[in-house]
Amino acid sequence: MSTSNGASGDDIVIEARSVVKTYASGTVQVHALRGIDLAVRRGEMVAVMGPSGCGKTTLLNALSGLDDFDSGRVTIAGTDISKMPDDRKTDFRAREMGFIFQTYNLLPVLTAAENVELPLIVSGVRPKEARVRALEALATVGLRDRANQRPNQLSGGQRQRVTVARALVNRPSIIWADEPTGALDSATAKEIMDLIVQLNEQEHQTTILVTHDPKVAARCHRTIHMADGLIEREDSQAKMQAAVATGGAS
Amino acid sequence: MDELFGLSMNVIAAVSVGLTLAIFAILAFFAFRNPVMFKQGLRNIPRRKTQTALIVFGLMLATVIMTAAFSTGDTVASTATADIYDLLGEVDEIIQWDAQDNPAPEDQRIIPQSELDALRAKFAGDKDIQAFLGLSFERLPVINERTSLNEADATIAAFDPAEVGVFANGISTTGDGFNLTGNGILVNKDLAEALDVQIGDTLQLIFEGKPADVVVTGIASLSPLTGAFDIGTLAKPGGAVNIDFFRQVTGREDAVDVILVSNTGDTKSGLGRTGDVEVKIKPELRDTPYELVTLKDDSITFAKLISSFFTTFFVVFGLFGIAAGVLLIFLIFIMLAAERKPEMGMARAVGARRRHLVESFLAEGMGYDLGSALVGLVAGMGVTVAMIAIVNNAGESGLGLNLRVTFTLRGLIVSFCLGVIATFLIITVASVRASRLNITSAIRDLPETKPLNPEQGTWFGYLRGLLNVMAAFGFFIGFLVLGARVSPVFSILALVSLVGPFLYVLRGTNFYLPKDERLQGGHIPFWPFFTVIGIPFYLLAVLLVRLTRDRRPSSVPLLVMAAGVIIPFVGIPLAALQDRERPIAWSAGMGAFGAIIGVLFIDWGLDTDTAFFFSAGVSLVILWAGTILRHFRIAERASMTGVSLLLLAYWYSPSSWWEPFTGKLEGNFEMFFLSGITMVAAGTFIITYNLDLLIPVVAAFGSRLGRLVPAVKTAAAYPLTARVRTGLTIAMIGLIMFGLITFSTINQNFTRLFLGDDAKGGWDIQVFTNVNNPVDDLPAALKAAGADTSPIAVAAEGYWTGFGELEFRNPGYDAAKDQPTDEYRPYPVFGADETWLRDNTFGMKFRAAGYATDADVWAALASGQKFALVDAGVTAGSQDFGTGDLLNLDKELSDGFEPFTITARNPATGEETVLTVIGQADDSAAVFFTGIIVSLPTLKTVYPEAATQAWYVRLNGGDSREYAKTIESTLFQASAESFDKLLDDQRSASAGFLLLFQGFMGLGLVVGIAALGVISFRAVVERRQQIGMLRAIGFQRSMVALSFLFESGLVAMSGILMGLLMGVSFSWVLWTSGDLDAAAGTTPFTVPWMQLAVICGIALVSSLLMTYLPARAASRIAVAEALRYE
Repeated sequence: MSTSNGASGDDIVIEARSVVKTYASGTVQVHALRGIDLAVRRGEMVAVMGPSGCGKTTLLNALSGLDDFDSGRVTIAGTDISKMPDDRKTDFRAREMGFIFQTYNLLPVLTAAENVELPLIVSGVRPKEARVRALEALATVGLRDRANQRPNQLSGGQRQRVTVARALVNRPSIIWADEPTGALDSATAKEIMDLIVQLNEQEHQTTILVTHDPKVAARCHRTIHMADGLIEREDSQAKMQAAVATGGAS
Repeated sequence: MDELFGLSMNVIAAVSVGLTLAIFAILAFFAFRNPVMFKQGLRNIPRRKTQTALIVFGLMLATVIMTAAFSTGDTVASTATADIYDLLGEVDEIIQWDAQDNPAPEDQRIIPQSELDALRAKFAGDKDIQAFLGLSFERLPVINERTSLNEADATIAAFDPAEVGVFANGISTTGDGFNLTGNGILVNKDLAEALDVQIGDTLQLIFEGKPADVVVTGIASLSPLTGAFDIGTLAKPGGAVNIDFFRQVTGREDAVDVILVSNTGDTKSGLGRTGDVEVKIKPELRDTPYELVTLKDDSITFAKLISSFFTTFFVVFGLFGIAAGVLLIFLIFIMLAAERKPEMGMARAVGARRRHLVESFLAEGMGYDLGSALVGLVAGMGVTVAMIAIVNNAGESGLGLNLRVTFTLRGLIVSFCLGVIATFLIITVASVRASRLNITSAIRDLPETKPLNPEQGTWFGYLRGLLNVMAAFGFFIGFLVLGARVSPVFSILALVSLVGPFLYVLRGTNFYLPKDERLQGGHIPFWPFFTVIGIPFYLLAVLLVRLTRDRRPSSVPLLVMAAGVIIPFVGIPLAALQDRERPIAWSAGMGAFGAIIGVLFIDWGLDTDTAFFFSAGVSLVILWAGTILRHFRIAERASMTGVSLLLLAYWYSPSSWWEPFTGKLEGNFEMFFLSGITMVAAGTFIITYNLDLLIPVVAAFGSRLGRLVPAVKTAAAYPLTARVRTGLTIAMIGLIMFGLITFSTINQNFTRLFLGDDAKGGWDIQVFTNVNNPVDDLPAALKAAGADTSPIAVAAEGYWTGFGELEFRNPGYDAAKDQPTDEYRPYPVFGADETWLRDNTFGMKFRAAGYATDADVWAALASGQKFALVDAGVTAGSQDFGTGDLLNLDKELSDGFEPFTITARNPATGEETVLTVIGQADDSAAVFFTGIIVSLPTLKTVYPEAATQAWYVRLNGGDSREYAKTIESTLFQASAESFDKLLDDQRSASAGFLLLFQGFMGLGLVVGIAALGVISFRAVVERRQQIGMLRAIGFQRSMVALSFLFESGLVAMSGILMGLLMGVSFSWVLWTSGDLDAAAGTTPFTVPWMQLAVICGIALVSSLLMTYLPARAASRIAVAEALRYE
């Protein structure tokens, strides 16, 4: 099987067909997604770019099962999540997906280790084992020595590293990242992207990354450009890197 | 109800209405000056409807409690007053024999007809007195021949029907009414009911064993004319007969027992002339053995006293709820401030001043305040109706009144106004606190960073903090203390002096700046300063007058005066001139000020032997230690925990430990509240300062809960990060639980002590016989009348003298004045025959030296010597409740006490007899045998006139209730009661009152529960994004909801467990130390675990139910939306 994006059917881990999402903002109807078709291969790292309000985050939410959509179909690793009940979808998320958000979304009341081990505990892993794996994940992102500190005792970059560790600790097959470097300075942003790319290469997880930053997008295998709820075009990594180098990316 | 805490209700009403109007005027001024900020505040109210409803619900409680307390007092007052008017009708005063000054045998205490005639002649046509009526009466058994029913003790009154006149007004009659001729009798409704009387029935009156037939000619309402005098008893069987017939039956001479006096005017208006009538009649009686008793006036005064007592009692019990309510209001405004922070920051950024934020908050707060005061008023009326229903259901053992719910406009206005004022004050403080924010942090909704106070840890900063506190609160405290020590007027001024804190509201503006700069922020009202400056001068003048008039050191609280007058006055310029932006060490200042007040309180407590002031003073000084350690940054956790432990150690220590230093201090149920509030505060400090140590323990326990682990883990983490909220909520719940648990536990122990089977003393039935028809030998009389006497195992005889029949004194000593006295105090006496003394099962609380066993004491009494046994009422105790030292003996007994003597005087003859006290009976004996116990021969020697005969019967098993009925139906002159029934009645009345007070105090739980609701709703908003994240990483909806429920459960359980632990342990200390009652120290302590489990269960379940809604809302949050939320 071949998709519009040219992906081989055997490797497809995320597949979206005619996904439509409309919501009301006051009295105005906002057509956030107007029929998205997309396929992502296993281990692929895909960036989603576009101007504010084009539907990037809505697409990520719809594909990851965080949000419902009005019509269309989304299949993750061969499982149709479109009609999945909330409980199963939640379990599925806990097992198969990890999330990285721009605002970190760490629980301020828990330590770094506790934040990281939370997805494991939710999945039923015994607390002792969860703690061992959480510490391993923190070691992977270079924060083993900060395990017992709370988010407010960490810098922005360190917090995002904790978020990355939390996203990876469950060894999910897909990582969703919504503006993972949006709140960071450029040096720290580069560090985080290095980490995400390195982990993608090591763990072979599929990564979908929403960003405004062409430099971040250029680190991904391909970049999808969205406008007004539709996929406008796709660029390869080489094209993006070239564009960044010439300063012409948008 | 005319008085509360010694203040006239009219004054309270006037002051509270005045203050409420002043509050509205201030708000109107704010609204007029800056309508935009005012509207902004008001428009916040409908934004979150559920939250608004919850806030109104929580805030209303103070009003509910006050409305219920005042309305209960008003109900008791109005019912009792109406009953008195109904019963006494036109009778305003009575003239009777003055036995106190003119000892004479009972049958000689009569007033000759000539005296009555002389009074009539003297006051004929008087403008204040409209009539006199001579009345004779006897207590007789009455039998209805038709129904075979009998009444052993009916009061039969007799008068000349031709002279009734105005006295008949207000008495409803059927049949021939007061047209009494021959042997006609007008029975009152109670006797008619008891004997199932119909007009025309023939009744038998038994006088000294001889029957006299009377024919019922009518039935009348209750009145002294129909034999009903007592206000306090529910059943007053009696009747009226023609005086000629009465004299024929009783052989009485031409005289009356009392003369009824009716003042000009109707039943109510006549009362106003009592003073004038007293002035006129008393001189006429000066050289006679008669006295004038202002019966109606005395009764009305007593009724008002009782109602005032009720209100005070409920207000004090309600203080737990009110205190929790105060905490809730504060908490709510902390929450609202947190919610509005970005808006407030933005408002400040675009030019709004702190004052504007305060005004906006006040507008919003007063919106809730008004709503809650109105809702509270209605709810309070509902609570009153429920409470009165419970009191009425307590039946005969209750108040002796069938209460009719009454609401007075004054009571409702006071409740409403006090609710509004209390809430306004707290909202003002909370608003000022909320307005002090960092603009940048507020806009970005970041945690408020406390600016480092450069004066923290310095003595200069400490002194400045103290002076500022003095300026803010010095007047208030000064006036309060003056109010208590000099005149209650100052207590009212204390409210006025709250302009002190108001100064600081103004200080938050810019009033001290030059006028041109000040105009940017609006005009500053100068008028409050004139008031403030005027008050100290006024106070000084009053002080000078006081000092020159009375130089006794104990009446000159010089230090208090100084604190109240000079320091605030010095503090005002300081407050006005100092740099507005410079932080003040308020808590250190408050602590130091508290310590000064504490020392004064200790001095005051020692001076007046009042435990309340002493303990409050000690607590304040201990708390001061905490604030000073904190100011100087000495390990906050260790110092606050240590100080709290010290507070607990003080309150847990029995008073006997302190007595060598303080002497005996007196305390009442206000100590209950003070101990509760201090201990719960200490407990809350310990919990909140050590939460980070306690929570991991809970979390570790939670880690064994499998799938629930994540919910428990997150739930346990949150309370830790919001210590103020958590602490306030734990304190609210803990306070109410402490009150409920302590009250229930102590009540259970007292019930067991007094209403256990021990109270029967081994007897099953008590039989009172009619005074005119005693029974020589009960079993023989029963046998002769055909009853089966085989169930009787033992029958013992005794005689009682009622209050006022015998008088006692402790020769040569008046404890009150600490000097010799001749004053006599009345006290009941029970003279028991040898059988009773030998066969009763009462134990001794204390035995005198020389008596090795209880049996020795009983044997000594039975020997016929002039020995006596006293009950708990005559030794030291709480005098305010009439439970201690009633004979002014100034004795505290203990085992092996030296026998002492008391002198009994026979008012009939003036003869005195010295009795030697050799023991004090167990408290359980005081339930049915209240009084001094002597042998029957001794009583007959001391007071041969004793006429109230009682028999005590022990059965060989069987149903005592049934056999009591057999005795009553067999002997016409016998009133028999089963002790089992009497105890059951008292227990059910006690349980009814317990339920009433538990319910009333439990109202406070509503506050704690509402607090949890408010916190949870706020948490859903605050944690929206975090909830989204949790859902994203795999938290099921149910787990999110569970996490919220666990969190509330954890906070609620902390409060509940603290209240339970402290309540039970404190009750144990009070009980075993003997601080409550000397007998308590010797009786095992029990805990009503079942009852406490129900109370705790209700508290926990209600808390969880309240959190259910926000928990459900949290679980339904759309994940993607929540993650986007900022």
